[in-house]
Amino acid sequence: MGGYGDVKLLREDGKRLDGRAIDEMRPVTIEAGVLPAADGSAMVTHGLNVAVAAVYGPMEAHPRKIQRQDRAVIDVRYNMAPFSTGDRIRPGFNRRSREISKVTAESLESVVLVERYPRSKIRVEIEILAAEAGTRCAGITAASVALADAGIPMRDMIVGVASGKIEDTVVLDLDKAEDNYGQADLPVGILPNTGEIAFLQMDGDLSIEEYNLAMEYNHKAAKEIHEIMVDALKRRYEGGEA
Amino acid sequence: MSSGWFGEKSMSEGRVGAEQRLVTPGMVIGPSSGKRAGSGTIAENNEFIATRLGWLNEQNDVVSVLPINSAYMPRSGDLIIGFVAEVRNNLWFFDVNGPFQALLPMSLAPWKVEFGSTRQHLGIGDAALARIQEVDETHNMVLTMKGVGLRRLNEGAVVSIPVNLIDTLRGHNNGTLSRIRDATDCRIIVADNGRVWIHGDADNMRVARNMIQTLNEEGHKKTFEGAVEALENERGEH
Amino acid sequence: MVELVPSLLRQELERLAADGQRLDGRGQFDGREVHLEVDCLYNAEGSAKVVWGDTIIYAGVKFEIRTPWPDRPTQGSLMCGAELRPVAHRKYEPGPPSPESIELGRVVDRGIRESGCIDMDELCIVPGEKVWGVMIDIHVLSDGGNIFDAAGLAAIAALRTAVVPAERFDVGEDHTLKVNGTPIMASFKRAGGRFVYDPSEEEELGGDERIHITLGDEGHLHSLQKGLKGVFTPDEFAEILAVAEQKCSELREMVAEKEGN
Repeated sequence: MGGYGDVKLLREDGKRLDGRAIDEMRPVTIEAGVLPAADGSAMVTHGLNVAVAAVYGPMEAHPRKIQRQDRAVIDVRYNMAPFSTGDRIRPGFNRRSREISKVTAESLESVVLVERYPRSKIRVEIEILAAEAGTRCAGITAASVALADAGIPMRDMIVGVASGKIEDTVVLDLDKAEDNYGQADLPVGILPNTGEIAFLQMDGDLSIEEYNLAMEYNHKAAKEIHEIMVDALKRRYEGGEA
Repeated sequence: MSSGWFGEKSMSEGRVGAEQRLVTPGMVIGPSSGKRAGSGTIAENNEFIATRLGWLNEQNDVVSVLPINSAYMPRSGDLIIGFVAEVRNNLWFFDVNGPFQALLPMSLAPWKVEFGSTRQHLGIGDAALARIQEVDETHNMVLTMKGVGLRRLNEGAVVSIPVNLIDTLRGHNNGTLSRIRDATDCRIIVADNGRVWIHGDADNMRVARNMIQTLNEEGHKKTFEGAVEALENERGEH
Repeated sequence: MVELVPSLLRQELERLAADGQRLDGRGQFDGREVHLEVDCLYNAEGSAKVVWGDTIIYAGVKFEIRTPWPDRPTQGSLMCGAELRPVAHRKYEPGPPSPESIELGRVVDRGIRESGCIDMDELCIVPGEKVWGVMIDIHVLSDGGNIFDAAGLAAIAALRTAVVPAERFDVGEDHTLKVNGTPIMASFKRAGGRFVYDPSEEEELGGDERIHITLGDEGHLHSLQKGLKGVFTPDEFAEILAVAEQKCSELREMVAEKEGN
């Protein structure tokens, strides 16, 4: 977290600078099947964040040394486009994107029925086109919809959501300013059917009570986003039907 | 392949479309009592959970999901159209539209092949109609070209369709396919790996290709049947 | 990954060419439908999305303040780069920028740079001290054939609608970037023995060499590139150049229309 000082993030009326209530998330839209070249794809806008995910495979895992005889590996690349942030990002992998790719892959491996595809890999490409705090969560949501769109079997989808703390107040879904000047951020990946957690990161300072409240907000938001995910898949395939 | 209930269902889907239920991975389908979990589902805590995006189906107490998209997963006995990807002195490797290449040993080729002369029969990029002889649990595959009709494809064109649309293209007892063959005057082979071979004169091939393009674009919307009928009317076949 | 080229595909492209036809029913010099959207990305100072058949490409413009080169104290700089990331097609693999990525970025860069549409002196803030560096990044999301033309269109549309973020850098007021011209690219591919405009994915797979032509507003050539194995005759070039003139002016009008909005 960027530390906090004089920056006011809550208004007199208890609302946040952009007018949201403390337990209100930014608007989310999802579209499935947006990339013709991919086996499955999705675009998620979450506030001003734009995340696109493409899925390719299952295909033979290369190089051989990454092959697993008993299951598929999920090969995730999370990448921020050079123009996605305030200052241009030099193209290529960096430590942050490598870490996010790793933990995202591991959370997706927890829901995809990887044992169905020995020696294979499933490529998941997450591209962030615009970043305004919360890109890893938008990326996980996009990846889940793209995997479903590609026909990959999963025991559940994963919804990416985050809560945090600003001015000693727990709030749902930090925006850019809140992320920069807030006190904590708790991004998680939730399985909507069981409420289990497949992705978990946190930084900052939270009491146990604050953590519990932040998680409560996250679970509530996950349900809302899940409905939008399901709706996106339905719109894609039920489109022309009576 | 499964030309039984699935084929019949495809034909009637246009009418019952509104009643079909689309499920997404993780969605609770309902209680599992007295029923069995079929493909695309798992049973958890006395409930059935969908594991794939697709249409819910219940048949003889088996609950399953008919997937909307699906990668080709080779099974023994499948008729496939492959492209030669690699040639060795005594065998060929084929791209069969699956995750792994399939091997055709020279002993299972339809010709008498001398060691080292494999390239004279099939070169890189060449297409062949073959059958999957066997697949093991780690996806190693052996092909055979010994069998009626199995051969090198020297003419025509190969187009791709999603494997879940194969039954729609074939129709009940290959009925839809026959109608397209008649209406386009093309020879058409629909292989189990989502590749379709078309051969006819230039004009007819274009029509056949357009039909398959329509299937690719509209298949999941169950309007393909209507397109076939429209084609028949247009070509005055009825 | 080197893609497998089916022999039947090459054979059919030849047969269709003899009939004056194409796989998707287009005429030899017909293009696919093109959709252009500008100012579509938060955080980019100029942005464009091009949907060209099954090809989808974004371009984003970013600015930075840098010290000018000592021998050109009043001149800013322009750079255009492209990334062919594995998101765009199963044939693209992860790793450092491929020769294909670099070629794409450089061909688009040359067309824009050499057209002179950006006056480098206009990018000066304080001579000898501060100039603007303009960076166009091309991001290919879906390769459905002819990424060159789509990338060129996205890049110039993003550039022409860019706003210089002077306020953010404390060097005056935000203002639109001055761009004097609209260089446009037209690409041709030999498929079945003859050149076609705007190749599809299958024509790229089963075809031979490609030629990229960037034309400025006056119809002058600003960048040419021949890629892949193959040779062509002067007569063939004359024919496609005439087609390019027409295609480029159509697309230039499309860019102008979007700017008007």
